[in-house]
Amino acid sequence: MIASCVSPFSIARDLGNLAMRPTKETMATILYAIAFLLFPATLHGAVDVLGVMATELDRSVEILSKESTPLYYLSYEITEDDRVSVVASFGAVSRNSRSDGRILDIDLRVGDKDLDNTHPVRDGRGRGFRRPSLTRVSVTNPEALRTSLWLATDRKYRQATERIARVKASVRINVEDEDRAADFSPQQAEEFSEKPRSIAVDTSVWAEKLKRYSAPFAEADHIYAGSAALSAVAVTRWYVNSEGARIRTSQTSYRLSVFGLTKAEDGMNLPRYEQFFAFNEDDMPDDETVMQTVGTVIADLQALRVAPVAEPYSGPAILSGRASGVFFHEILGHRVEGHRQREADDGQTFKDMTGESLLPESFSVVFDPGVRHAAGTDLAGAFKFDNEGVKGQRVLVIDRGVLRRFLMSRRPIEGFSGSNGHGRKQPGFSVVARQSNLFVEVDEPLADSALKEMLVNQLREEGKDYGLLFDAIQGGFTFTGRSVPNAFNVLPTMVYRIYPDGRQELVRGVDLIGTPLTTFSKIAAGGTVLATFNGLCGAESGGVPVSAISPPILVSQIEVQRKGKSQQRVPVLPAPSGLNRTGIRVTPGGVQ
Amino acid sequence: MNPARICFLLLSLAAGWLPAGAQSGVLMRAMQDELDRSMTELRLGDLERPYFISYSVQEVSEIRATASLGGLSSSGESASRTLHVEVRVGDRNLDNTNFIVRPDFSSMEDMSFGTASLPLEDNYEELRRGLWLATDRAYKHALDHIAKKRAVLQNETVVEEVPDFSIEEPYQYQDASDLSPPDAARLRALAVELSLAFREQAHIHVSSVEVSARLIRVQYVSSEGSSFLRDDPSTAVTVRAGSRAADGTEISDSFTAFGRTLEDLPAISFLSAQSRELSGRLKGLREAQVFERYAGPVLFEGQAAAELVRQVLLPRLLVQKVPLADDGRMRQAMDRLSNPFQDKLGSRVLPRFLAIADDPTLRENEDGPLWGGYAVDDEGVPARQVQLVQRGMLKTLLSTRNPIAGIPQSNGHMRGGGPAPSNLVVTSSSGLTADEMSEEFRALLEERELEYGVVLRRIRDSGSRSLAGGSTGRARGGRLLRAVVAVKVFADGREELIRDAVLTGLSEGGFRDIVAASEALTSHSFRFRSVGPSFDPFASINAARRFGTVVSVVVPSLLFEDVSVRRPPGNIPRPPVVPKPPSGD
Repeated sequence: MIASCVSPFSIARDLGNLAMRPTKETMATILYAIAFLLFPATLHGAVDVLGVMATELDRSVEILSKESTPLYYLSYEITEDDRVSVVASFGAVSRNSRSDGRILDIDLRVGDKDLDNTHPVRDGRGRGFRRPSLTRVSVTNPEALRTSLWLATDRKYRQATERIARVKASVRINVEDEDRAADFSPQQAEEFSEKPRSIAVDTSVWAEKLKRYSAPFAEADHIYAGSAALSAVAVTRWYVNSEGARIRTSQTSYRLSVFGLTKAEDGMNLPRYEQFFAFNEDDMPDDETVMQTVGTVIADLQALRVAPVAEPYSGPAILSGRASGVFFHEILGHRVEGHRQREADDGQTFKDMTGESLLPESFSVVFDPGVRHAAGTDLAGAFKFDNEGVKGQRVLVIDRGVLRRFLMSRRPIEGFSGSNGHGRKQPGFSVVARQSNLFVEVDEPLADSALKEMLVNQLREEGKDYGLLFDAIQGGFTFTGRSVPNAFNVLPTMVYRIYPDGRQELVRGVDLIGTPLTTFSKIAAGGTVLATFNGLCGAESGGVPVSAISPPILVSQIEVQRKGKSQQRVPVLPAPSGLNRTGIRVTPGGVQ
Repeated sequence: MNPARICFLLLSLAAGWLPAGAQSGVLMRAMQDELDRSMTELRLGDLERPYFISYSVQEVSEIRATASLGGLSSSGESASRTLHVEVRVGDRNLDNTNFIVRPDFSSMEDMSFGTASLPLEDNYEELRRGLWLATDRAYKHALDHIAKKRAVLQNETVVEEVPDFSIEEPYQYQDASDLSPPDAARLRALAVELSLAFREQAHIHVSSVEVSARLIRVQYVSSEGSSFLRDDPSTAVTVRAGSRAADGTEISDSFTAFGRTLEDLPAISFLSAQSRELSGRLKGLREAQVFERYAGPVLFEGQAAAELVRQVLLPRLLVQKVPLADDGRMRQAMDRLSNPFQDKLGSRVLPRFLAIADDPTLRENEDGPLWGGYAVDDEGVPARQVQLVQRGMLKTLLSTRNPIAGIPQSNGHMRGGGPAPSNLVVTSSSGLTADEMSEEFRALLEERELEYGVVLRRIRDSGSRSLAGGSTGRARGGRLLRAVVAVKVFADGREELIRDAVLTGLSEGGFRDIVAASEALTSHSFRFRSVGPSFDPFASINAARRFGTVVSVVVPSLLFEDVSVRRPPGNIPRPPVVPKPPSGD
């Protein structure tokens, strides 16, 4: 089974560091927890890291390619992660940490491009989430680095020689693969180097900011969690391979998240998340913007607490830009990841559908890791090179409604042999094709108000009592395997009923669900104003940052199901006196 | 901004949040006030009130760094303040504890009862808020558990009536040490400098030095009137190195030095010398002869005797009630907590000349400082010396407020979620000098007509991790006691180093057959992780459980009449195809 999900970074941050069986709430958490554990950065100074890596790589290739099971490809990637994290709850700092570290990843291949040790062995074990294996290295001392590379290469080579024997046996014993593509595609070697960047965070300044941002939660009634968190990360990657690639990239990113939680009288937990993302600290929002967001979150929570519970429903709906972005990420994005068209246990939803019309002619979907900024924010899914040393490329997946191509790593599928720079992973995992920045493009978009008019008209025609509007969301997930229903789930936090007279009413307690092919056929129209969802997407190659940019869309028929609900009541005792002072007015514009 | 400056800023911030004696009154006051309110007012409908509530808050400020061959490979700093709430409903004889329910993984609330992250600052209102919400969750959880527990018990006849919670005198303790926060720059420098000891040691394939310094302050209040403030500062440096013999056998060893603060650690010159000694040991082992098998008298000296006691005997000296579970699988899982020594109270478990005491009040012995001491345990029970074995007879076991038949009270050993030792001292009433030990050993060999006997000097630390890149992922010999330094001793006193030996079939029962013990004692310290009675997915938040509590074991050398020593089972991985990279460039 493959389950994938996308969530804003804030969820992962707030749910903290537990490890448990993946469930819809916790999937992101696990991945994030892994990411948090494995990254610790800094001070490589004068050492020519790429040079040391290349020297050791050449030496291993020279010797191991003459062995009886010869190596035909080798790559080294070192990911340095330097991060700072500060969290404040209800106006007081609750966590403050910094860590740095470097993880080595090796792709070592024996056999040949047509059949190598990475070929899936059909032993019924499936794939799914695996615990990553982490090799930590130091990059400040050439000798230490070379020794680490040497030992790790030796280990990988042993594993590869053992695995190729199993691969060959599996190929002989089992029925022929449904997809007869090779295991590895040729690629031109890239050379690129940019200056290592470091995070420049004055945590004492940020601690004061976060205290200010989270303080209004303490002034409001019935709020059981209210926090603001900053995560600042510098990631530097060094990549070399036996084809001659020599790449060094370095990227900083800053995320500020706001999280609040209330509980309805029936025990339902009602969370609300907002977040800001930027590559540079200077581009983080100013205090006024954040305080307004906090005010909105609090006002939304107060409204949600007393909102009626939504009923299971099937009918027309409008998805806000962010909701639509996540919706496309789940129903389309994960299904156009190339490797999902070839593995025996995968649903292969779109395998033979290239050239066919999936969406209305006015809709196109493009993935482009080269775009760094859209709809007013930096894009978390942007990158220069993927984890196989391939330049991130613009990929037109749906061209005017017609499926054209897939997101590709260097693992070919029938009919598509070359990588388009989407082989991605979290350090410690193995590369598969993953999403980058997803853009939903609509020709001749309607004004956003026209979408609502269309919805209202449909309600009248069909005699429905109301339609739905999905506004803020916390994430989503989807299943693409064969052994489970091939479904998706988008987790909204703010859902409104829209009545035929145009009135809107906030409701709570539903998730947007469905199966992909049916849902595609119901997409009716797109709006104008783009919105971005920056999130962390988890799948078999770990957690990778992604973005989804979309205008609002109208879907002629969607389905919602009840959310899982907490059985715990609201607290027995009132808040200790002195808290929850009344007389504070909270409005969507901010706290007054 | 350069990285060094970032570190500085972080450090200065962390320092501002470290426990400072004067301000800690705010937290204590918030804890006491919310405790009082909850004991008098907390009640859901007509369900029962709590009969006991305790709060324990752990403030942890941690700095760590790992270095290899003079380069830092990772480092980090963090500060946190974590609350643990214990709410008991029912009564002492039957309450919500000692009961395991398969947890509902889909509910965060089910998972997170009893723990919460509190503000690092002494903000009274926000501390109260955190305490209030966590108490509420823990109370509801307790109500749920007692209902389920009573349901299970309806269909069972309780054979052995043992209460769930012991009665103890309330106790108050306060000891705020005046420690300054560890210096991160100094700590990193120590890791880097020490790691240079393995430079230009061509036979060492992998090495690392890990230094960590933690200030942990625990503050506790209970509804019985107990309260304490206890500082548990802990600093450790662990040096690891690994190599391979010509046939591919992996060889590794490590040592850890402990202290309360960085200042307590041995001088760097001493640690460097120990590191070079470690390197020398590995060099000798690479060339040592391969061992087949041996059965006969074995002498455990120094660290090997201490590690033997730690790995085989120590787990038997701890006791807690095996909890009731609501399904068969969980019940089976809980059986691992049962201890055969529970049925041996009053029986002989060691030869008459041996005795064992656990003494948390010790701070040092002739050998130097001991690190397992403390003044009050995690349940607010004062620490006390416990005579566990006297003249070879088992008198009692290390206990907590979770009683068992025969041991109704705590003897102050609740540490990190379960019973744990402090300073465990094994003494002999007829200790032999070194010469007398050798003589005794030789006599045994003669009696058996053996050409040689085996002396173990180092056993692999059971807490040691495999070295990055050093393992092929298939540990040979798994959980067996593994000798690092062992020698064959011949009748003429000649010694021959052997490598790759494991001990088989040596269990706690074998300790009765110890033939002799030395007069001289060796102390050995390590981190101990206790096994708690409850399934607590958030146990990792508990600092004592996450980091382990430091325990010291003091033992004489021990001579056993019959022990089997052999090569570990399984095959040896092939040596690397590619030779080690040349050093020095």
